[in-house]
Amino acid sequence: MSFFSAPSMDKMEFSDAQRFVERSMHEITNRFQKVPGSAMLIRYIQSSYQDDPVRSAIELILVIFFVRYLLAPSYATHNNNFVTLTEEEIDDLVDEWTPEPLVAPQTAFEEADNEKLPVIVGPTGPKSKLSNGRTVTNLASYNFYNFVGNEQVKEKAIQTLRTYGVGPCGPPQFYGTQDVHMKTEADIASCLGTEGCIVYAQAFSTISSVIPAFCKRGDIIVADRAVNFAIRKGLQICRSTIRYYEHNNMEDLERVLQKVVKEQSKKPLTRRFIVTEGLSETVGDCVDLPKLVELKLRYKFRLMLDETWSFGVLGRTGRGLTEAQNVDASQVDMLVGSLAGPLCAGGGFCAGSTDVVEHQRISAASYTFSAALPAMLATTASETLNMLQTTPEILVQCRENIKTMRAQLDPRSDWVHCTSSPENPVMLLVLKSDVVNSRRLTTQEQERVMQECVDELTKQKTLANGVLITRLKSMPVAPGSNGKDDQWKLQPALKVCITTGLSKKEIEKAGVTIRHAITKVLTRKTSSKLALPAVS
Amino acid sequence: MPQRLPRNPFASSTTTTTVAIPSDRPTTRRPSTSKGNRLTQFFTSSPKSKEQQSAHEALLAAVAAQQQHLLNNPSPHISAPSLSLPTISLSTAKAGEANMDEPPTTLFQPPSVAEAKRQARIDAQFGPLGNQSHRYVSKHVGGELADPVIDEPPYYYLLTTYISYLVLIVFGHVRDFFGKRFRPEHYKHLKSANGYAALNSDFDNFYVRRLKLRIEDCFARPTTGVPGRYITLMDRKTDDFNKHFQFTGTYTETLNMSSYNYLGFAQSEGPCADAVEETIKKYGISSASPRADAGTSDLALEVEDKVAKFVGKPASMVFSMGFATNATSFPALVGKGDLIISDELNHASIRIGARLSGAMITSFRHNDMGALEKKLRENISQGQPRTHRPWKKILVVVEGLYSMEGTMCDLPGILKLKKKYKFNLFVDEAHSIGALGPRGRGVCDYFGVDSAEVDILMGTLTKSFGANGGYVAAEKHIIDKLRATNAATLYGESPTPPVLMQILSALKIITGELVPGQGEERLQRIAFNSRYLRLGLKRLGYIVYGHDDSPIIPIVLYNPAKMPAFSHEMLRRKISVVIVGYPATPLISSRARFCVSAAHNKDDMDRLLAACDEIGNVLQLKFSTGVAGGAENLPDGVTPGMEEEWKKANGLQGVIQPPRWSLREVIANGVQDVKQPLR
Repeated sequence: MSFFSAPSMDKMEFSDAQRFVERSMHEITNRFQKVPGSAMLIRYIQSSYQDDPVRSAIELILVIFFVRYLLAPSYATHNNNFVTLTEEEIDDLVDEWTPEPLVAPQTAFEEADNEKLPVIVGPTGPKSKLSNGRTVTNLASYNFYNFVGNEQVKEKAIQTLRTYGVGPCGPPQFYGTQDVHMKTEADIASCLGTEGCIVYAQAFSTISSVIPAFCKRGDIIVADRAVNFAIRKGLQICRSTIRYYEHNNMEDLERVLQKVVKEQSKKPLTRRFIVTEGLSETVGDCVDLPKLVELKLRYKFRLMLDETWSFGVLGRTGRGLTEAQNVDASQVDMLVGSLAGPLCAGGGFCAGSTDVVEHQRISAASYTFSAALPAMLATTASETLNMLQTTPEILVQCRENIKTMRAQLDPRSDWVHCTSSPENPVMLLVLKSDVVNSRRLTTQEQERVMQECVDELTKQKTLANGVLITRLKSMPVAPGSNGKDDQWKLQPALKVCITTGLSKKEIEKAGVTIRHAITKVLTRKTSSKLALPAVS
Repeated sequence: MPQRLPRNPFASSTTTTTVAIPSDRPTTRRPSTSKGNRLTQFFTSSPKSKEQQSAHEALLAAVAAQQQHLLNNPSPHISAPSLSLPTISLSTAKAGEANMDEPPTTLFQPPSVAEAKRQARIDAQFGPLGNQSHRYVSKHVGGELADPVIDEPPYYYLLTTYISYLVLIVFGHVRDFFGKRFRPEHYKHLKSANGYAALNSDFDNFYVRRLKLRIEDCFARPTTGVPGRYITLMDRKTDDFNKHFQFTGTYTETLNMSSYNYLGFAQSEGPCADAVEETIKKYGISSASPRADAGTSDLALEVEDKVAKFVGKPASMVFSMGFATNATSFPALVGKGDLIISDELNHASIRIGARLSGAMITSFRHNDMGALEKKLRENISQGQPRTHRPWKKILVVVEGLYSMEGTMCDLPGILKLKKKYKFNLFVDEAHSIGALGPRGRGVCDYFGVDSAEVDILMGTLTKSFGANGGYVAAEKHIIDKLRATNAATLYGESPTPPVLMQILSALKIITGELVPGQGEERLQRIAFNSRYLRLGLKRLGYIVYGHDDSPIIPIVLYNPAKMPAFSHEMLRRKISVVIVGYPATPLISSRARFCVSAAHNKDDMDRLLAACDEIGNVLQLKFSTGVAGGAENLPDGVTPGMEEEWKKANGLQGVIQPPRWSLREVIANGVQDVKQPLR
C-alpha cells in the first residue's frame, strides 16, 4: 500500500511546495512594493541594467562581498597554532586527559593551622571562652574599644532589627538603599569633612573595587611595596601600569614619581594615582601624610589612601590619619576605610568629592553587584562613630593600654620588636634581625615560630594566664604559581590587639605572659625546626 | 437605635461581644434572621435563630473552623474573615433551652487597635495565605530541560527601538556640543585640568550622562523599613532633571516586586527576628576579627554545618559577602595552567573572581550544551595555547538561576557532559538556593540530582534567607584547603553574629526544625506565585523570559522610553519594580523584572496582573505571538497528549493565536491551570 501511495504523496507535497513558493513570492513582492522608495529602487536597477549590465554585476558582487564581510567574525577564530584533528583523535585525547584534583592536598602546616584555629564560644570580649573550655584574655580581636559588649550599641541594633529586619535583600541600585545607609554615609562624610561618602557591604572588598573603578588600562599607579592583600587584588584587576616604591620611604616615592613624570612627558596625559595605607596592615607603621600630599600635589598625582586600620584609631576623636596629622581630608582624593574593624559594625566606605563618590555608585563592582549592608550594621557604625566623637577618652585609654603593653614587649624582649606605630592598637611583633640572621631562619620557619608562640600562649598551664593572640597571615599563593612572582614578602609577625576592655594591670600581666612565652619557644631545646613536620 | 449598630458586630474591632447582643436581640422587629449575615448566626443566642441552626450544627461549624485554623497554622495569619474569627458560642451548646439572662460566653476577643496595627505590620512583611490551594511544589517534571521559547515582537518594535537609541545618542551629542561650549563647569570632571587627567573618560561617561540620567529616578529609590511583601519608598522629587533629588518627607508603601526576598524572610517579627534579638543580646553585634584569626565563633561553625547539610555536601564555609565569596574562591581554586569555561551570562562577581585567579577564561553561549561540548572538545584536544600542554584542570562555571533571564542552568545536561569530559563543576546558586526545588535546596534538588555530582556549590545568604553573605560547600578536603588559601577567610571580616543567627533560624524554618510546616508553606507559595504570575503575564500577551518555575520573571519592553514609563506607571499603582536596560541586557531587550516572593499571596499577584493589564494596553506591551505560551485552554475531554490530533481534526494545525486574555479570565483560570504544565 505504502509503495503506491508514496509517489502520490510526493506529488501532493511537491505541488504544495510550488504553491507555497508562488504564494510567498507574491507576498514578498507585495510587501516590497509597499516599502516607501521601492519603486524608485526597481526603476534604478532596471535603468542601470539597460545602460550598463557590467556595472550592475559589479554592484551585485560588491553587495555580496559586503554581506559576507558583515557576517564574518571580526577576528581570527583560530591562530596558526591550531592543530586540526579528526573527531576520533579528539575522542582519544578526551579519554586520555586526566585532570589534576581540584585542590592540592593540604600542607602539614595548613593542616595544623586548621586544627588549632581558635573557636570562640559565646561573645567576643576582652575575656573570651574557647571551645576547649578555657577562658582566655582575648588580644586577637579588633575590639579595641570593647564596642562588642556595649549595651547602648546592642540596644540600637535591636531597634534597627525591629524596624528593618536583617538583610536589605537587594543591591543598592535596586531598592537596596535604605535611609540608614544614607545616614551612615552622611555621618562619615561630615565627620571627615569630605563632600560625600559611599558605604560598601564589606570592608575587605572595598578598596579592591575602588581601584578598578577609577584606574583603567594605560593609567599609572604608584603603590607602596608593602600594601595589603586587598589593594594588591585591586591593582591586579585594574590593568593599569603599576610601579612600587619602598615601604613608607618618601624619598623613594619621589624618585619613582619623578621617573614616571619624565617617562610620560611625551605621551598623552593619563590618570596617575598613588596608592598606600594610613596604618600599614603588614608592617603596622604610619605614613607621613603631609609629605605624601605635598608630593602628590607637586607631581600631579591623585591619592588613594587606605585607612582601614587608621580610621577609628588615629586622631583625637578617631577620625583617622587626616586628623592625627592635621591634613584636610579633602586633600585625599579617595579615602577608604573600614566600619568592620575598630567600629565593630560591618562594611567599608570610600569618602571623597561628590564626583568621586557618584562615579563609584555605578562603576564599583562590589557596590553595584552586591547586596547592600544590613541596616543594623549601618546604624551600629553611625552609633560607634558618634561614641568616638563624643567620648574621645576611650581613645586615650586605649593608647595608655598600648603603651603599657609595649613597655612589656618592645624594649624588654630579647627576641622580638614591635614594628607598629606607637598609637596602633594592632601590635605586630617580628623577630629581631640578629635572631633571624644568627639562626638563619627562612620566612616559613619564622612563620612556624610565630605559630608556636601563639599555641604556647593559649595552652598556658594556669587557666588565668591563657592569652589569645594571633599571627600575621602570609598572603595566599595562587595555585599554579611558582611563588616567584612577588618580589616582596611580608615578615611573619605576632599580632597583639589591644583593647580598653582590660585594665592596665591585666594588660601588663598579659604582656609578661606573651614575653615569657616567646622566650620559652625560642630557647626551647628542641629547635623550633623540629617542633613541626617540615613544610612540603 | 438598633439600625445604627453594625449589622455584623465583629466588623468593628472596637465593639465588644457584650455590646453585640442588642444588635441581634431585636428579633421581634426583624422579620427573620435570614437577613442577618451568616456569621452573626454563629454567635447569636436568640431563640429564633436557633430554630434554623441547631446547637449541634453550630458546634460542628465551630469545630470545622478550628480544624481549618489548625490546617492553616503554619501561616502566621488566616485571612478569610469567616475563618479568622473562630468563636464558639457556649450558650448555644446548651441543649435547647434559651438562657436570656446570661451574656454569651465567647472565646473570641476582637483585636484591640494596637493588636490590629501589629497584625497589619506583620501582614505587610509576609502576606497571609489566602487559600491552601495556592501552593505548588517546585520540581522538574522530568525529561530534558527544554530551552524556553524566545518570542519576538513585530519588527516595528525592534526598528523603533533602534531609532529611539539613535535619537537619544544624537540628541545627547548635540547637547554635549553646546553644553561643553556654554556650560563648561558641568564637564569639569571629564576634562583634564591643572595637569591632572580627567577623572572619568568622556566616552565612558556619555551613557551615564545622556541616557541613564534621564531615567535616574527609577534607580536607587531609597527605602525604609522591611523589604518584605510591601516596601516603603521615600518619596523624592527633582528640580534639575534627575541631577539632584529632594526628599518630600512623605512615604509610599508599595507592593514589593523588586527585592530578592524569595522565601519572605525579610521580617522584623517572628521566630527569626526573635532569635536574632537574643543573639545580639548575647553575642553583641560583631566578631571583630577575620575568620582565620579570632573570628570563628561556635555560631559560625553551627551555620556552616547546617548549610552543608542543607545543600547536601560534607562541609561548607560562610563569608560576610556574596560578591566576595566568588571573587576570592576562584583564585583559591584555579590558577595558571587551568581553564575556566564560563556561561556568557555569568554574574560580574564570577568574572572578577575568574580574572583574579590567573586561569585562562573562555565562555560558551548561554545554556547551550552543544556549544559547551564544542568548547570542551576543542580545549581538551588543543591543550594550553601555544604550548599545547594538557590543561591541569578545567572548571565549568554556571549559575543555578540567571538573575536577568530567569533561566535555570541545564544541570542534567551539564552532568552528562561532566561524566564524559571529566571537568570540575562550580554552580553559583545565588538565586536558586531556597527559591527552587521541593525542599528549597537549589537546582540539584529541583532536578532531583545528587549534589555530590557537583564539585562546588556556592550561594548567597542574602536572598532567600534574608541575611547577608555567601557560602561555598564542597567535599571536606576541598573546604579545608580553601580555609587556608581563601583570602576572604584570612583577611576579610567574618559574618556578624546577628546575620549568622538569621541564616540559622531561616534554615531551621525551611527544613522544618522550627515552626514545622511553615518552611514547606513558604517553598510552595513561592513556587505557586511564580507560576501563577508567569502564566498570567503570558496570557495577557506579554513576552516573558525564563523557565516556568523560576521566581525571576522578566518581561521585555524593547523601547528605551518604555522603561521609565513602565516604572512610573507601576509606581502610580503603588508597585515597585526593577527595570533593566543596556548594558545589563542586550541593547534591544530592555526589560522589567519581577521578583516573586513567598511573602506575596494570590491577591498581590492579581493586583500586579491587573496593573500589567492596564499598563500593557497603554504602553503597547502585549506583543507576544503565542509561540511561548499563554494559549487557550483545550476544550473539555481533550488531554495535552491528544492536542496534536485535536488540532489536526479541527484544522488548527500550525495556527498559533496571539494570547490576549482578559484579566477576568486570567484570574478565573489561573489557580487550576498553574497546577498543569503551563501552555
